[in-house]
Amino acid sequence: MARFKQRMRRFAQKPASVDLAPFQALLKDVEKHADTFKAFSDEELTAHAAKLRDESTDTELVALTREAAERAIGQRPFDVQVLGALGMLGGLVVEMATGEGKTLAGAMAAAGFAIKGKRVHVVSVNDYLAQRDAEWMGPLYRLLGVSVGWINGSSKAEERREAYQCEVTYAPVSEIGFDILRDRIVTREEDLIVPEQEVALIDEADSVLVDEARVPLVLAGSTSAEAADPVIADLVKRLRQNLHYEVDDEERNVFLTGAGSEAVERALGEIDLYSQEHVTSTLSKVNVALHAQVLLHRDVDYIVRDGKVHLINDTRGRVAKLQRWPDGLQAAVEAKENVQTTESGEILDSMTVQALLGRYPTRCGMTGTAVAVAETLREFYELEVLVIPPNKENIREDEHFRLYATLEQKEDAIVEEIKTVHETGRPILVGTLDVAESERISSKLRDAGLECVVLNAKNDAEEAAIIADAGSHNRITVSTQMAGRGTDIRLGGHEGEDHDRIAELGGLYVIGTGRHSSSRLDDQLRGRAGRQGDPGGSVFFSSMQDELITQYAPDAEEPSEVDEDGRVRDKGLLHTFEHAQRVAEGVNLEIHRNTWRYNKLIEHQRDLLLKHRDVVLRTDAAYEKLGEKEGASEEVASEAARKITLFFLDDLWTHHLTFLSDLREGIHLRALARQNPLDEFHREAIPAFNKIVPESWELAKEKYEAAKITDDGYDLADAGVKRPSSTWTYLVHDNPFGSGLEETMKGLVKMVRGQRR
Amino acid sequence: MLGAFRSALATPDLRKKILFTLGIIIVYRLGATMPAPGVSFKNVRACAEQLEGQNIYSLINLFSGGALLNLSVFALGIMPYITASIIIQLLTVVIPRFEQLKKEGQAGQGKLTQYTRYLTIGLAILQSTGLVALAVRGQLFGECDQDVIPGKDSIFTLIVLVITMTAGTSVIMWLGELITEKGIGNGMSLLIFTGIAARIPAEGKNILNKSSITFALVIVAALIIIASVIYVEQAQRRIPVQYAKRMIGRRMYGGTSTYLPLKVNQAGVIPVIFASSLLYLPDLVVRLTQGSSSEPNWFSTFVQTYLVKQSSWVHISVYFLLIVFFTYFYVGITFNPDERADEMKKFGGFIPGIRPGRPTAEYLKFVLGRITLPGSLYLGIVAILPNLFLDLTGDGQNQNFPFGGTAVLIMVGVGLDTVKQIESQLMQRNYEGFLR
Repeated sequence: MARFKQRMRRFAQKPASVDLAPFQALLKDVEKHADTFKAFSDEELTAHAAKLRDESTDTELVALTREAAERAIGQRPFDVQVLGALGMLGGLVVEMATGEGKTLAGAMAAAGFAIKGKRVHVVSVNDYLAQRDAEWMGPLYRLLGVSVGWINGSSKAEERREAYQCEVTYAPVSEIGFDILRDRIVTREEDLIVPEQEVALIDEADSVLVDEARVPLVLAGSTSAEAADPVIADLVKRLRQNLHYEVDDEERNVFLTGAGSEAVERALGEIDLYSQEHVTSTLSKVNVALHAQVLLHRDVDYIVRDGKVHLINDTRGRVAKLQRWPDGLQAAVEAKENVQTTESGEILDSMTVQALLGRYPTRCGMTGTAVAVAETLREFYELEVLVIPPNKENIREDEHFRLYATLEQKEDAIVEEIKTVHETGRPILVGTLDVAESERISSKLRDAGLECVVLNAKNDAEEAAIIADAGSHNRITVSTQMAGRGTDIRLGGHEGEDHDRIAELGGLYVIGTGRHSSSRLDDQLRGRAGRQGDPGGSVFFSSMQDELITQYAPDAEEPSEVDEDGRVRDKGLLHTFEHAQRVAEGVNLEIHRNTWRYNKLIEHQRDLLLKHRDVVLRTDAAYEKLGEKEGASEEVASEAARKITLFFLDDLWTHHLTFLSDLREGIHLRALARQNPLDEFHREAIPAFNKIVPESWELAKEKYEAAKITDDGYDLADAGVKRPSSTWTYLVHDNPFGSGLEETMKGLVKMVRGQRR
Repeated sequence: MLGAFRSALATPDLRKKILFTLGIIIVYRLGATMPAPGVSFKNVRACAEQLEGQNIYSLINLFSGGALLNLSVFALGIMPYITASIIIQLLTVVIPRFEQLKKEGQAGQGKLTQYTRYLTIGLAILQSTGLVALAVRGQLFGECDQDVIPGKDSIFTLIVLVITMTAGTSVIMWLGELITEKGIGNGMSLLIFTGIAARIPAEGKNILNKSSITFALVIVAALIIIASVIYVEQAQRRIPVQYAKRMIGRRMYGGTSTYLPLKVNQAGVIPVIFASSLLYLPDLVVRLTQGSSSEPNWFSTFVQTYLVKQSSWVHISVYFLLIVFFTYFYVGITFNPDERADEMKKFGGFIPGIRPGRPTAEYLKFVLGRITLPGSLYLGIVAILPNLFLDLTGDGQNQNFPFGGTAVLIMVGVGLDTVKQIESQLMQRNYEGFLR
């Protein structure tokens, strides 16, 4: 029946995924090889792997790795894992349910690629997983004669270079990006770290490729850092909403009113905020401070720990260690919280996660929720999705969701539900939307006399221990999205000693305290229960006052009938939630698409410039262009010429990036003259870019001729060729300011609606 | 400009796009001249000639590229599609379900487009039935007594005609979407452009037949008009805007690339279309209220002498004033200075030297008021130019005359957009010469 449904979907030309049947047919081939390999000794297995390097088929490779996995890891991969590995070898994103052994399937595929002669980067989501997976799967790779290495945030340059030389490298996505960015400012060929990129195998593919695709990775250099002004931070704290400033409906923008700017001007000593001298400094500072004060909430967007501001990743609920807000916002938040200002600097170069992964000619991935983003994967990465059925049928019982009129009624009902279920001793996982909510719910539970464990960004160090016991008897765990993805909760404690008793009770019971902005996150949370054929259950609670509704479906009708406890059973309203999720996803996709349209040009320009830079770096092109230097040998002069030229190339690129971000900010205004903003962006950006190389030669020539260069040495710093004393990398928290273009569209809709009323 | 075209043709995928677009246009023209089955081509020609000089359907005929009065396969042109998209746009305000779809991003938009297509088919069936009915009753061509559909007694012939024309409209819709998707420029506008441009040779020949000196003069005048229209269409007032929402290290202020552009002709061709439609209204009322036999009353006499007659000074002045009025009206509803000022304020933008909020809105109003005046005068002058040359073209051909008025405005607008698109695609591809 399921297959028939699949056929019908394919017939209707709406396949969200590719056909599984051809892959299932391959299983027989894999089986055929199995007996041959079973008879091999370990040495013969390794030798055979070496032989396959010349010529092999995917089925033979997978059969070999399957046998190797059984010997090295002690697990014989199930058919579904074999299918997953085959899918990834075919360049697909495979969807495998939670607890089905994605790590092993991924390792099989990575080993297969490596034996085929490709260098594989297994892209993981964090440091911990990169190291764990590389070490766990190490024996498998060694048995196959494939070298493997890993990188985390604290790896030294030498360790990194070594790891990248391995055939399979496990690394978090951000570290690969940072290494590539650092490579782009070296001045000596031997300092390069990352070899050519060939295959990317992406873990949690939907999270990396969709949710975090827009996050820019940044390489910054220290300049005269402008600290946020504590006076201004204090000043904006005294401003009042709707009198001095206003916030728009989506809570994305805050702005001063006339009275507000007058108040600021008075407080700062009768200045004119909008005069030339204050626009560049004071006004920007006030605006940024206001944004930090009003729109960024402690314990929702960030936490303060050890005197530092830590951002929280909103789809994962974890502390995003490497992330900062851009453009002075970080310093403003630090001033708001009165903590030490961390160093900020000039952006030397940045690239998005999407552009980074776009550099790999071959890409594949695995995740638990891919079908929902199949369209996006196809549009942005030309990736198709293959759905692998679970090894054991999923018997989790999902209750759709319960809707309440107000937030308070919802939370009361949640506590009531937990109380009822807890009496049976069944373990409960409560998934909340942010840190503040997790704390509110847990304190309510404690008031009701229920003991619970809280897991959120604040105590992420205890994560492993909390998750290990989350499935044990009588346990109530309240968590943010941290527990919603990638965590493996075993029934009956970490050793599974109590498994059968818990299974008897119905397995893990997942309660979501609100629908997420994406149905994938809902599914991931539900996926914590019912792992590998275990029993389990899940339910979501929602209220009409949830942020999802107030932000994305603000016109939702009031419920006409409400039960005594606030429960709403109106079917139409239940649909409103799906609508709101679709709006949220549509808005996100639109922002993604829009950002990417503009970024594509920047990426293209970067590529061209880097090609040119590479020539200068690796050859004597600079020397040939700038000419000989009296009193210096060819070697010394050539090195100096190269350094000077590279300096100006990098410097001009930094300028260019600033110019582009300025241009981007106001380009939507061009639509007023019925011009296409994207075309106009190109029209301005391309001539500016074309000037970079000629100008770099000109400036370099000038400096080169003026500089004192002898065989005894030279000091370029004197001549103003001064590279930043230190560089560091971070991720920018994605687009906190919103863009005028999207808002203009919304404004139009509102205008139309306004006329209707 | 020619150089741009040459390098566009030298870029393989751009060349492919341009050739693809040209191919589609050829198919479109073929369909526009091919008579629908059951129509007597000879009789239609004869009637159309008789009709010359009457303006009942001229605007619709303009949009269909003359196909309407040929009773061709593409007789309905893309009007049903344009009407359908306007209706769907309006419905998104009225029907909550549509409004929801609109908000759901691309997936929802896709559904709306699908509805637009269905509605287009519906409208096409209605319009083609109407058109066939008119032709059968001999009302399409007024006084003409030739039989345009010889087999009109057989219901089968008529049904085939309706089906053919409806299918023709769906094909045009598809062709337009193909151009937008795989070719270059906006498909729908290009098809309208093609329809108008296709009339140039015939009109030229008409004039040439009358006198070759006039022909030379018309060519020169046309070139001058087109050049000046291009000039004014490109003109804009750029009001510099600064954003102070972010703190950026080395920021260059006073850059010239962030500005708010106000076009001299902010309203485009729409006021002209509004004004001419409004001028037809009295004529239509007269025709509908009055049988052919009854005595003309004072109203119909007035309409006939002053409003319908395009060489009449009353007609010309009313037309001109209406255009000026509609320009202000249109700019007034599409560009709202208060809203613009609010939007800028929200994103930390402002005009240097002017405080955000009310003062900014006041300033925008002031500039807009100043720029709309020459804009509206320009539109009016371009629109009435052909009326001043009526001796050359014959009465009633104002809209169709391809060297003036609406036609030039549409052609130049579409042409400029398309060339700009080619240019920007060319720029994105041509980075050669960069490394040298």
